[in-house]
Amino acid sequence: MALASPQVKAVCVEANEFQHLSNQFRVRGVPHTVINRRASFVGALPEPDFVAAVLEGAGVVLDEPHEAPSGPSTEISA
Amino acid sequence: MALIPEPVRQQLKDRFDTVLSGPVHLTLYTRPGSSRLILPAGLGCPTCEDARQMAELLRDAAPEKVTLDVVDVSRDAARAQIDGVDDVPTIAIASNSETGRIRFQGLPTGTEFPALIDAVERVSRAEHGLSDESLAALAKLTEPAEVMVFATPT
Repeated sequence: MALASPQVKAVCVEANEFQHLSNQFRVRGVPHTVINRRASFVGALPEPDFVAAVLEGAGVVLDEPHEAPSGPSTEISA
Repeated sequence: MALIPEPVRQQLKDRFDTVLSGPVHLTLYTRPGSSRLILPAGLGCPTCEDARQMAELLRDAAPEKVTLDVVDVSRDAARAQIDGVDDVPTIAIASNSETGRIRFQGLPTGTEFPALIDAVERVSRAEHGLSDESLAALAKLTEPAEVMVFATPT
């Protein structure tokens, strides 16, 4: 995604090694994705859902709201 | 070199030989540390030496295409701040000498190691692998967005 957009910085964090970050972002399971250090979701999402989640987390208003699959693991929490 | 066995090195060389196309610039942000001593946070860096070996492995697998720059954040805190690196070890990957926007924070072992190799190859080939729909959606990003993915080696 960072290759596709100059705005994106992608950071893969080793959760065990950086406990302060894991605690700060309440990481309980992996993969756990945090966007702009505020919104987050847990689990591996299909590409369209991942992109939609990143845009939503970054505060971009989509013309057609993307419907993410229901379930707690895909909920975006701010 | 204890961390990476010779057969793996040769395998990576053979792979990079065929897969890499353009140049890749790696920056390793590190701090002197000891893998034997556990020091309070902010003092030592138990995994920095291993991370250095890993970054050198990538460079040595294709030295004509992969370059490596090592930044000691205890000596060059200003650089780390400018590049937005808060924790070490961090490996940043870029296609030129600019600051890499693809980063691995911590020692990328286990399932993170293939992801690191994949990132180097994708940067080299400028191959994002996303669909046209995703590209169109990402074009709507007008402000910087940081995507942190927490992972574990297993």
